[in-house]
Parts: sequence; structure tokens; C-alpha cells
Amino acid sequence: METNGRISADEASAALAAAQRTRSRVAWSGYPAWYWLATGAGLGAVCYAVLQPGWWVVPIAVVFAVTSVLGARAASRARGVREGCQRGAMTVRDQLVLGGPAALLILAGAVASKFAAWTPDVAAVLVFVVFAGTGLTLSARAARP
Amino acid sequence: MTAPAGAGQAAEAAEDGFDHLIHAPARLRICAALDPVREIEFGALLTLLDISKSALSKHVSVLADAGYVTQRRAVRDTRQRVWLHLTETGRSAYRAHVAALRRIVGDGRA
Repeated sequence: METNGRISADEASAALAAAQRTRSRVAWSGYPAWYWLATGAGLGAVCYAVLQPGWWVVPIAVVFAVTSVLGARAASRARGVREGCQRGAMTVRDQLVLGGPAALLILAGAVASKFAAWTPDVAAVLVFVVFAGTGLTLSARAARP
Repeated sequence: MTAPAGAGQAAEAAEDGFDHLIHAPARLRICAALDPVREIEFGALLTLLDISKSALSKHVSVLADAGYVTQRRAVRDTRQRVWLHLTETGRSAYRAHVAALRRIVGDGRA
């Protein structure tokens, strides 16, 4: 459909909404389920290591960082969408929705372990469930027509 | 010599960033999909936009003819795939168009 002349505010608003929906679909859809499960498991492992005494967190965080980059590249190939290091379809809000709760859980777990009986394995499982659940749910929602 | 009736309007539209070529719904969505990423495979874009293969090919050709989109062929899993990329010209035009739409929405509500 070609368009000519000025358009109304309603039509402009509808066009902006369509563009926003498309961007959101690019950000969330097409991810294979293993990507959310594996990344959630990695974050759970980081959370577990944070709550352990000693320096376990350093090697585990390094292994997680390397494998998450490799996982992201493999998921990108599977999706047919190539995102750059600095350019991605997820907005800051999307990233906060995805990673925010898991990050808060890790921090809250680290603080709670100082004052209360807070077992690392419970925190790790919670982080895994929250991250993988958010990713799987939002991917499934974005895939709907 | 006077300009054609529509020329002034078109020039005005071009100046404020409104791009009639991008504004067609399918092309707007193609640009919206390509803008935030480096490139998208043709088949993945087909699924994302939920339109027919022939319609997507037609709109991509229009955008490519305007210099807004480039196509790269690559073989993966023994199949040739086409990757689509929004050029800098296309990205600038799309962002100017979105800004123009926002101004229209703002003016309409003011």
C-alpha cells in the first residue's frame, strides 16, 4: 500500500504501535528453549557460588561468561537474527524485566545469608526458575501472532 | 514554470522526515525489525512478520532499490540463505520517519 499526503494522528499512532510490536517480537521470539534453560542454570550456578565461602565465584563467573557468549551466538544462529555486542532488539526495560528479578534474588540471597539461614541451593533454584520462566513465557507470548 | 501540485507536499514530507516509501505497513515493519539488529535471515523475518514469501520479497526489493536494505547470501547447513541488513541510509530514513510519526501524534493530541 502506497501512502500519499499527510496522515492522521490516529494512523501515525497505529503505525508507531505496529513498529513497536515488531521490535518486541524481534527481541523475544525465536529463542530455542534450551537457551533460557541453560542461561538460567548458569545464573543459578553463579548464585550458588556467590553464597559459598571462598573464591568459587570467580572461576564459575568466568566459565558462565564464556559459555553464555557461546550460547548467545548459537541461539542467534538458530533464530536467524544476528545482534551486535552494542546493538540488540531488547530495550533496557526488556533487559530489566528479564534479568532484574534474578539479579535481585542473587543480591538478596547474598544479604540474607549473612543474617539468616538461607541455603545457597534454594537461592540457586529460585534464580533458575525466575530467569528461565521469564524467558520462556515472554518468548512464547512474542511468538503468538 | 510552476511545480506540480504534489511536489511541494512531497518536498515538505521529505524535509520533516516522513518517508512515504517506508510508511507502507509491511515496509515499516521490515524496517522496525531490521533497525535494532545487524541482520535477519529472510526465513526468520517471514516468521516474525507473518506475511507471504512473495509479499516479503516484493517489499524487500522496493527497499533494496531505494538503497535502504542490502541482501547477503550465505550457505548454512547446505542451504543457501539470504540475510537482510538495513543500510545506514535506511536506518536514518527509518528513524526520521518514526520521529515524524511521533510529531504527528504529538500535534494531533496537542
